[in-house]
Amino acid sequence: MATGRELRGRIHSVQNIRKITRTMELVSTSKLKRAQDRVVAARPYAEAIRESIADLVNPELMSRFPLLRQPAPLSKGGPSRAAVILVTSNRALCGGFNGNLIKEARRRIAELEHAGYTVDLHSVGKKGAGYFKYLGRKLAADRQDIGDKPTADHAASVVAQILEDYEAGKLASVDLVHGKFVSALSTPPTTVRVLPVATPSGRKARPDYILKPGADAILEVLLPLYVRNMVFRGLVETAAGEHGARRIAMKNATDNAGEILEYLNRTYNRQRQAQITQEIAEIVGGAAALQG
Amino acid sequence: MHVTIVSPEASIFDGEADAVTAPAFDGEVGILPKHAPFMTLLGSGALIVRHKGTTSRYTLQGGFLQVVSNRVRVVAEHIQGEGRAS
Repeated sequence: MATGRELRGRIHSVQNIRKITRTMELVSTSKLKRAQDRVVAARPYAEAIRESIADLVNPELMSRFPLLRQPAPLSKGGPSRAAVILVTSNRALCGGFNGNLIKEARRRIAELEHAGYTVDLHSVGKKGAGYFKYLGRKLAADRQDIGDKPTADHAASVVAQILEDYEAGKLASVDLVHGKFVSALSTPPTTVRVLPVATPSGRKARPDYILKPGADAILEVLLPLYVRNMVFRGLVETAAGEHGARRIAMKNATDNAGEILEYLNRTYNRQRQAQITQEIAEIVGGAAALQG
Repeated sequence: MHVTIVSPEASIFDGEADAVTAPAFDGEVGILPKHAPFMTLLGSGALIVRHKGTTSRYTLQGGFLQVVSNRVRVVAEHIQGEGRAS
Protein backbone atom coordinates (compact mmCIF):
# COMPACT_ATOMS: atom_id res chain seq x y z
CA MET A 1 0.00 0.00 0.00
CA ALA A 2 1.21 3.45 -0.89
CA THR A 3 2.38 5.65 1.93
CA GLY A 4 0.74 8.92 2.77
CA ARG A 5 3.53 10.89 1.16
CA GLU A 6 3.27 8.96 -2.09
CA LEU A 7 -0.47 9.48 -2.17
CA ARG A 8 -0.05 13.21 -1.60
CA GLY A 9 2.36 13.35 -4.54
CA ARG A 10 -0.09 11.57 -6.74
CA ILE A 11 -2.92 13.84 -5.69
CA HIS A 12 -0.82 16.87 -6.59
CA SER A 13 0.09 15.58 -10.02
CA VAL A 14 -3.51 14.68 -10.84
CA GLN A 15 -4.59 18.13 -9.71
CA ASN A 16 -2.04 19.70 -12.03
CA ILE A 17 -3.11 17.56 -14.95
CA ARG A 18 -6.71 18.48 -14.33
CA LYS A 19 -5.80 22.14 -14.36
CA ILE A 20 -4.09 21.74 -17.73
CA THR A 21 -6.84 19.74 -19.37
CA ARG A 22 -9.47 22.16 -18.12
CA THR A 23 -7.54 25.08 -19.58
CA MET A 24 -7.20 23.25 -22.89
CA GLU A 25 -10.91 22.60 -22.84
CA LEU A 26 -11.61 26.30 -22.41
CA VAL A 27 -9.16 27.25 -25.14
CA SER A 28 -10.75 24.78 -27.53
CA THR A 29 -14.19 26.08 -26.69
CA SER A 30 -13.29 29.60 -27.72
CA LYS A 31 -11.38 28.45 -30.79
CA LEU A 32 -14.30 26.25 -31.73
CA LYS A 33 -16.61 29.23 -31.60
CA ARG A 34 -14.45 31.17 -34.05
CA ALA A 35 -13.93 28.18 -36.32
CA GLN A 36 -17.66 27.59 -36.32
CA ASP A 37 -18.24 31.19 -37.38
CA ARG A 38 -15.91 30.63 -40.30
CA VAL A 39 -17.85 27.53 -41.36
CA VAL A 40 -21.07 29.52 -41.31
CA ALA A 41 -19.49 32.49 -43.09
CA ALA A 42 -18.33 30.26 -45.93
CA ARG A 43 -21.82 29.01 -46.66
CA PRO A 44 -23.33 31.89 -48.71
CA TYR A 45 -20.47 31.77 -51.19
CA ALA A 46 -20.75 28.02 -51.68
CA GLU A 47 -24.49 28.35 -52.09
CA ALA A 48 -24.10 31.15 -54.66
CA ILE A 49 -21.67 29.16 -56.80
CA ARG A 50 -23.74 26.01 -56.54
CA GLU A 51 -26.89 27.78 -57.69
CA SER A 52 -25.20 29.59 -60.54
CA ILE A 53 -23.68 26.40 -61.90
CA ALA A 54 -27.02 24.68 -61.62
CA ASP A 55 -28.55 27.54 -63.61
CA LEU A 56 -25.97 27.26 -66.36
CA VAL A 57 -25.27 23.60 -67.04
CA ASN A 58 -27.17 21.56 -69.55
CA PRO A 59 -26.36 18.13 -70.93
CA GLU A 60 -25.00 19.59 -74.15
CA LEU A 61 -22.44 21.72 -72.29
CA MET A 62 -21.55 18.96 -69.88
CA SER A 63 -19.78 16.80 -72.40
CA ARG A 64 -17.51 19.68 -73.35
CA PHE A 65 -16.01 20.39 -69.96
CA PRO A 66 -13.26 18.09 -68.72
CA LEU A 67 -14.18 18.89 -65.13
CA LEU A 68 -17.72 17.67 -65.64
CA ARG A 69 -17.00 14.71 -67.85
CA GLN A 70 -16.83 11.24 -66.41
CA PRO A 71 -13.48 9.82 -67.60
CA ALA A 72 -13.43 6.54 -69.47
CA PRO A 73 -13.29 3.49 -67.20
CA LEU A 74 -9.99 1.76 -66.64
CA SER A 75 -10.91 -1.19 -68.85
CA LYS A 76 -11.39 1.14 -71.80
CA GLY A 77 -8.03 2.82 -71.54
CA GLY A 78 -9.03 5.55 -69.12
CA PRO A 79 -6.57 7.13 -66.69
CA SER A 80 -5.14 4.72 -64.15
CA ARG A 81 -4.44 7.21 -61.38
CA ALA A 82 -6.85 8.53 -58.80
CA ALA A 83 -6.23 11.20 -56.21
CA VAL A 84 -7.30 11.27 -52.59
CA ILE A 85 -6.96 14.44 -50.54
CA LEU A 86 -6.83 13.74 -46.82
CA VAL A 87 -7.33 16.61 -44.42
CA THR A 88 -6.19 16.07 -40.83
CA SER A 89 -5.14 18.37 -38.04
CA ASN A 90 -1.62 19.48 -37.17
CA ARG A 91 -2.00 18.80 -33.49
CA ALA A 92 -2.92 15.83 -31.38
CA LEU A 93 -4.86 15.51 -28.12
CA CYS A 94 -8.21 15.53 -29.83
CA GLY A 95 -9.35 11.98 -29.15
CA GLY A 96 -10.03 9.76 -32.11
CA PHE A 97 -10.51 12.62 -34.55
CA ASN A 98 -7.41 12.11 -36.68
CA GLY A 99 -7.49 8.36 -36.26
CA ASN A 100 -10.98 8.23 -37.68
CA LEU A 101 -10.03 10.42 -40.63
CA ILE A 102 -7.04 8.19 -41.38
CA LYS A 103 -9.22 5.11 -41.15
CA GLU A 104 -11.69 6.62 -43.61
CA ALA A 105 -8.86 7.54 -45.99
CA ARG A 106 -7.44 4.02 -45.81
CA ARG A 107 -10.84 2.58 -46.57
CA ARG A 108 -11.21 4.82 -49.61
CA ILE A 109 -7.68 4.10 -50.84
CA ALA A 110 -8.23 0.36 -50.48
CA GLU A 111 -11.43 0.65 -52.48
CA LEU A 112 -9.74 2.53 -55.29
CA GLU A 113 -6.76 0.20 -55.33
CA HIS A 114 -9.07 -2.77 -55.40
CA ALA A 115 -10.64 -1.26 -58.53
CA GLY A 116 -7.18 -1.19 -60.07
CA TYR A 117 -6.23 2.47 -59.69
CA THR A 118 -2.92 3.83 -58.49
CA VAL A 119 -3.73 6.26 -55.73
CA ASP A 120 -1.96 9.60 -55.27
CA LEU A 121 -2.37 10.68 -51.68
CA HIS A 122 -2.36 14.41 -51.06
CA SER A 123 -2.09 15.11 -47.39
CA VAL A 124 -3.00 18.27 -45.53
CA GLY A 125 -2.05 18.32 -41.86
CA LYS A 126 0.72 16.77 -39.84
CA LYS A 127 -1.11 13.83 -38.37
CA GLY A 128 -2.21 12.16 -41.59
CA ALA A 129 1.19 12.72 -43.18
CA GLY A 130 2.93 11.24 -40.14
CA TYR A 131 0.84 8.12 -40.25
CA PHE A 132 1.21 7.41 -43.95
CA LYS A 133 4.92 8.16 -43.88
CA TYR A 134 5.25 5.64 -41.09
CA LEU A 135 3.56 3.12 -43.36
CA GLY A 136 6.15 3.98 -45.99
CA ARG A 137 3.68 5.42 -48.43
CA LYS A 138 4.82 8.16 -50.76
CA LEU A 139 2.75 11.33 -50.54
CA ALA A 140 1.99 13.30 -53.66
CA ALA A 141 1.71 16.42 -51.56
CA ASP A 142 2.36 17.08 -47.91
CA ARG A 143 1.02 20.36 -46.60
CA GLN A 144 1.63 21.15 -42.96
CA ASP A 145 1.58 24.92 -43.20
CA ILE A 146 -2.15 25.50 -43.18
CA GLY A 147 -3.04 25.28 -39.52
CA ASP A 148 -6.46 25.92 -38.10
CA LYS A 149 -7.29 29.13 -39.95
CA PRO A 150 -7.43 28.04 -43.57
CA THR A 151 -8.02 30.65 -46.26
CA ALA A 152 -9.36 30.34 -49.79
CA ASP A 153 -5.82 30.80 -51.07
CA HIS A 154 -4.68 27.76 -49.10
CA ALA A 155 -7.41 25.72 -50.72
CA ALA A 156 -6.50 27.02 -54.16
CA SER A 157 -2.86 26.04 -53.70
CA VAL A 158 -3.80 22.56 -52.48
CA VAL A 159 -5.97 21.87 -55.45
CA ALA A 160 -4.13 23.68 -58.28
CA GLN A 161 -1.94 20.78 -59.39
CA ILE A 162 -4.77 18.32 -59.05
CA LEU A 163 -7.06 20.40 -61.24
CA GLU A 164 -4.37 20.65 -63.86
CA ASP A 165 -3.74 16.90 -63.86
CA TYR A 166 -7.42 16.15 -64.00
CA GLU A 167 -7.99 18.47 -66.92
CA ALA A 168 -5.06 16.87 -68.71
CA GLY A 169 -6.81 13.52 -68.34
CA LYS A 170 -4.25 12.01 -65.96
CA LEU A 171 -6.65 11.41 -63.09
CA ALA A 172 -9.74 9.27 -63.01
CA SER A 173 -11.26 10.81 -59.91
CA VAL A 174 -10.50 13.03 -56.95
CA ASP A 175 -11.88 12.35 -53.49
CA LEU A 176 -11.68 14.54 -50.43
CA VAL A 177 -11.59 12.96 -46.97
CA HIS A 178 -12.39 15.46 -44.25
CA GLY A 179 -14.26 15.88 -41.01
CA LYS A 180 -17.74 17.06 -41.83
CA PHE A 181 -18.86 19.60 -39.30
CA VAL A 182 -22.40 18.55 -38.38
CA SER A 183 -22.21 20.00 -34.90
CA ALA A 184 -19.58 20.48 -32.22
CA LEU A 185 -20.38 16.99 -30.97
CA SER A 186 -20.58 15.25 -34.30
CA THR A 187 -17.79 15.50 -36.85
CA PRO A 188 -17.96 12.25 -38.79
CA PRO A 189 -15.13 11.56 -41.24
CA THR A 190 -16.62 11.96 -44.68
CA THR A 191 -15.50 11.30 -48.23
CA VAL A 192 -16.80 13.54 -50.97
CA ARG A 193 -16.18 13.21 -54.66
CA VAL A 194 -14.60 16.45 -55.83
CA LEU A 195 -13.96 15.52 -59.45
CA PRO A 196 -15.66 14.89 -61.75
CA VAL A 197 -17.96 17.61 -60.49
CA ALA A 198 -21.36 16.26 -59.61
CA THR A 199 -23.65 18.76 -61.23
CA PRO A 200 -25.92 20.34 -58.68
CA SER A 201 -29.58 20.06 -59.50
CA GLY A 202 -31.08 23.33 -60.65
CA ARG A 203 -34.16 25.21 -59.57
CA LYS A 204 -37.31 24.55 -61.49
CA ALA A 205 -37.73 27.90 -63.20
CA ARG A 206 -34.38 28.70 -64.69
CA PRO A 207 -34.02 32.43 -65.24
CA ASP A 208 -33.40 33.46 -68.81
CA TYR A 209 -30.05 35.14 -68.30
CA ILE A 210 -28.26 37.63 -70.44
CA LEU A 211 -24.84 36.03 -70.31
CA LYS A 212 -21.59 37.86 -70.79
CA PRO A 213 -19.33 36.57 -72.27
CA GLY A 214 -21.35 33.32 -72.63
CA ALA A 215 -22.35 30.20 -70.76
CA ASP A 216 -19.17 28.34 -71.75
CA ALA A 217 -16.81 31.05 -70.68
CA ILE A 218 -18.60 31.61 -67.39
CA LEU A 219 -18.67 27.90 -66.58
CA GLU A 220 -15.02 27.67 -67.39
CA VAL A 221 -14.31 30.11 -64.58
CA LEU A 222 -16.99 28.90 -62.22
CA LEU A 223 -16.12 25.21 -62.19
CA PRO A 224 -12.59 25.62 -60.79
CA LEU A 225 -14.02 28.05 -58.25
CA TYR A 226 -16.56 25.44 -57.25
CA VAL A 227 -13.90 22.77 -56.84
CA ARG A 228 -11.67 25.11 -54.85
CA ASN A 229 -14.56 26.03 -52.66
CA MET A 230 -15.32 22.38 -51.93
CA VAL A 231 -11.76 21.91 -50.76
CA PHE A 232 -11.88 25.15 -48.81
CA ARG A 233 -14.98 23.98 -47.01
CA GLY A 234 -13.27 20.69 -46.28
CA LEU A 235 -10.40 22.57 -44.66
CA VAL A 236 -12.62 24.90 -42.66
CA GLU A 237 -14.93 22.16 -41.46
CA THR A 238 -12.04 19.93 -40.45
CA ALA A 239 -10.49 22.81 -38.49
CA ALA A 240 -13.75 23.35 -36.66
CA GLY A 241 -14.19 19.63 -36.12
CA GLU A 242 -10.72 19.39 -34.62
CA HIS A 243 -11.53 21.96 -31.98
CA GLY A 244 -14.85 20.30 -31.25
CA ALA A 245 -13.18 16.91 -30.86
CA ARG A 246 -10.45 18.38 -28.68
CA ARG A 247 -12.94 20.06 -26.44
CA ILE A 248 -14.73 16.78 -25.84
CA ALA A 249 -11.49 14.87 -25.32
CA MET A 250 -10.29 17.44 -22.79
CA LYS A 251 -13.61 17.52 -21.03
CA ASN A 252 -13.47 13.76 -20.61
CA ALA A 253 -9.92 14.00 -19.36
CA THR A 254 -10.91 16.65 -16.82
CA ASP A 255 -13.86 14.61 -15.60
CA ASN A 256 -11.71 11.55 -15.37
CA ALA A 257 -9.04 13.39 -13.39
CA GLY A 258 -11.78 14.50 -11.00
CA GLU A 259 -12.82 10.91 -10.43
CA ILE A 260 -9.29 9.74 -9.81
CA LEU A 261 -8.77 12.63 -7.44
CA GLU A 262 -11.82 11.65 -5.44
CA TYR A 263 -10.58 8.11 -5.10
CA LEU A 264 -7.06 9.20 -4.14
CA ASN A 265 -8.35 11.62 -1.55
CA ARG A 266 -10.52 8.98 0.01
CA THR A 267 -7.63 6.53 0.19
CA TYR A 268 -5.36 9.17 1.62
CA ASN A 269 -7.84 10.19 4.33
CA ARG A 270 -8.61 6.65 5.26
CA GLN A 271 -4.96 5.91 5.67
CA ARG A 272 -4.34 9.04 7.70
CA GLN A 273 -7.24 8.14 10.00
CA ALA A 274 -5.95 4.59 10.38
CA GLN A 275 -2.58 5.92 11.39
CA ILE A 276 -4.08 8.29 13.97
CA THR A 277 -6.22 5.53 15.40
CA GLN A 278 -3.21 3.33 15.67
CA GLU A 279 -1.14 6.00 17.39
CA ILE A 280 -3.88 6.62 19.95
CA ALA A 281 -4.12 2.92 20.61
CA GLU A 282 -0.39 2.81 21.17
CA ILE A 283 -0.43 5.74 23.58
CA VAL A 284 -3.36 4.34 25.52
CA GLY A 285 -1.67 0.97 25.60
CA GLY A 286 1.59 2.56 26.79
CA ALA A 287 -0.17 4.55 29.53
CA ALA A 288 -2.02 1.48 30.70
CA ALA A 289 1.25 -0.43 30.90
CA LEU A 290 2.85 2.31 33.06
CA GLN A 291 -0.08 2.40 35.45
CA GLY A 292 -0.33 -1.35 35.76
CA MET B 1 -33.20 45.96 -54.94
CA HIS B 2 -31.40 43.56 -52.66
CA VAL B 3 -27.64 43.21 -52.90
CA THR B 4 -25.40 40.56 -51.40
CA ILE B 5 -21.65 40.50 -51.71
CA VAL B 6 -19.86 37.32 -50.73
CA SER B 7 -16.27 36.15 -50.70
CA PRO B 8 -15.12 32.58 -50.00
CA GLU B 9 -14.39 33.46 -46.39
CA ALA B 10 -17.25 35.69 -45.46
CA SER B 11 -20.37 37.53 -46.36
CA ILE B 12 -19.29 41.12 -46.98
CA PHE B 13 -22.54 42.95 -47.57
CA ASP B 14 -26.20 42.07 -47.37
CA GLY B 15 -28.77 44.79 -47.80
CA GLU B 16 -30.76 47.13 -49.98
CA ALA B 17 -29.18 49.38 -52.58
CA ASP B 18 -30.23 51.79 -55.31
CA ALA B 19 -27.36 51.17 -57.68
CA VAL B 20 -24.38 48.91 -58.10
CA THR B 21 -21.39 49.55 -60.30
CA ALA B 22 -19.16 46.54 -60.83
CA PRO B 23 -16.00 45.88 -62.83
CA ALA B 24 -17.01 43.25 -65.37
CA PHE B 25 -14.34 41.42 -67.35
CA ASP B 26 -14.77 43.80 -70.29
CA GLY B 27 -15.54 47.08 -68.56
CA GLU B 28 -17.79 48.50 -65.92
CA VAL B 29 -21.42 47.52 -65.62
CA GLY B 30 -24.05 49.47 -63.76
CA ILE B 31 -27.01 47.67 -62.28
CA LEU B 32 -30.18 49.55 -61.40
CA PRO B 33 -33.34 48.12 -59.87
CA LYS B 34 -35.46 45.85 -62.09
CA HIS B 35 -32.53 44.79 -64.24
CA ALA B 36 -33.14 41.78 -66.48
CA PRO B 37 -31.65 38.43 -65.40
CA PHE B 38 -27.97 38.81 -66.01
CA MET B 39 -24.75 37.00 -65.33
CA THR B 40 -21.25 38.19 -66.06
CA LEU B 41 -17.70 37.44 -65.09
CA LEU B 42 -15.85 40.03 -63.09
CA GLY B 43 -12.42 41.40 -63.77
CA SER B 44 -10.65 43.54 -61.25
CA GLY B 45 -11.47 47.03 -60.07
CA ALA B 46 -13.81 49.00 -57.90
CA LEU B 47 -17.21 47.82 -56.82
CA ILE B 48 -19.51 50.62 -55.74
CA VAL B 49 -22.80 50.19 -53.93
CA ARG B 50 -25.02 53.26 -53.55
CA HIS B 51 -27.92 53.48 -51.20
CA LYS B 52 -29.78 56.68 -50.35
CA GLY B 53 -26.78 58.93 -50.62
CA THR B 54 -24.34 56.59 -48.86
CA THR B 55 -21.68 54.97 -50.97
CA SER B 56 -19.72 51.84 -50.13
CA ARG B 57 -16.65 51.09 -52.12
CA TYR B 58 -14.76 47.83 -52.42
CA THR B 59 -11.89 46.56 -54.48
CA LEU B 60 -12.37 43.15 -55.93
CA GLN B 61 -10.74 40.70 -58.25
CA GLY B 62 -12.29 37.75 -60.03
CA GLY B 63 -15.60 36.07 -59.52
CA PHE B 64 -18.95 36.81 -61.04
CA LEU B 65 -22.08 38.90 -60.73
CA GLN B 66 -25.58 37.64 -61.01
CA VAL B 67 -28.92 39.43 -61.19
CA VAL B 68 -32.15 37.48 -60.75
CA SER B 69 -35.57 38.96 -59.96
CA ASN B 70 -34.27 42.19 -58.48
CA ARG B 71 -31.60 40.50 -56.40
CA VAL B 72 -27.98 41.21 -57.16
CA ARG B 73 -25.33 38.79 -56.05
CA VAL B 74 -21.66 39.67 -56.30
CA VAL B 75 -19.46 36.63 -55.80
CA ALA B 76 -15.87 37.79 -55.55
CA GLU B 77 -12.76 35.68 -55.33
CA HIS B 78 -10.80 38.40 -53.60
CA ILE B 79 -12.37 41.45 -52.12
CA GLN B 80 -11.44 44.14 -49.69
CA GLY B 81 -12.62 47.57 -48.81
CA GLU B 82 -14.46 49.67 -46.34
CA GLY B 83 -18.18 49.73 -46.03
CA ARG B 84 -20.47 48.18 -43.53
CA ALA B 85 -19.30 44.68 -42.86
CA SER B 86 -22.01 42.30 -41.82
